[in-house]
Amino acid sequence: MNNQIQGLLAAMTIAACTSVTATGLATCDSGPKSGWQPIEKLEKQLTERGWTVRRVKEDGGCYEVYAINDKGQRVEAYFHPVTLAPVPSRPR
Amino acid sequence: MASMAWVRVWPRWQRLLHAALALTMVAALGTYEGGRLHEWAGYAALAFVLLRLALGFGGPVPARFSAFVRAPMVTWDYAKAWWQGQEARHLNHNPLGAWMVVMLLSLGAGAAATGALYVTDRFWGEAWLIGAHALLAWPLVLMVPLHLAGVIHAIRRHRENLVAAMWWHGCKREEARDPALSTPETRLRG
Repeated sequence: MNNQIQGLLAAMTIAACTSVTATGLATCDSGPKSGWQPIEKLEKQLTERGWTVRRVKEDGGCYEVYAINDKGQRVEAYFHPVTLAPVPSRPR
Repeated sequence: MASMAWVRVWPRWQRLLHAALALTMVAALGTYEGGRLHEWAGYAALAFVLLRLALGFGGPVPARFSAFVRAPMVTWDYAKAWWQGQEARHLNHNPLGAWMVVMLLSLGAGAAATGALYVTDRFWGEAWLIGAHALLAWPLVLMVPLHLAGVIHAIRRHRENLVAAMWWHGCKREEARDPALSTPETRLRG
């Protein structure tokens, strides 16, 4: 019984922690992190496309990129961590 | 009943500025995730806050901070009287309200400035800056219910319609109708 409560509390804590970082702008079904491509590879790919990458973080299982794109626009873009393909995001 | 003399305490520019700040605040909060509207609400708020700060130092005398912001000890004495339900009525902002004005304007200026910097090409994506923005903006949001609670308290305590005074006609009774209120009133000068 006590173990069940502890498990529930742990699950709630994990849910609370992950929900704080997830903005819900995009979600990726990306599986365990062992299968993810490194952030550096995404940065290199985007830099070669003419982007200036400012920051990459995780959001909703995706890589979330803050950058200036090749047209000089400020962008906040999402990429799938396994395929590194762009993921459509809900506009803010 | 005492004679009913009315005095204009909030001139039109002050009422308009208050309404503009309240509206930009609501717009920015409603779009807190960011985006076009959030950014424009922030730019507008920054302009209005800077205007109010400038007029607070060099504007008409009753609107200057020196006309209503009181020293900490004076404010503390007022707070104690307030707690005991015996605070004096003020025509201008009361000492606690004055510090609320200072808090709202400084947090507003900080939140708007950090937000405006964040959406420049130079600072886009800087985690520390968006963190600072959140650290200023959310306390500002928390101050609003306190501000409203203070106003509602003053409305009940002094039985006067402060909402109409700030949002519509700008006038307050010059003399208290309540004979129990024997404490001297703060007078507007200038």
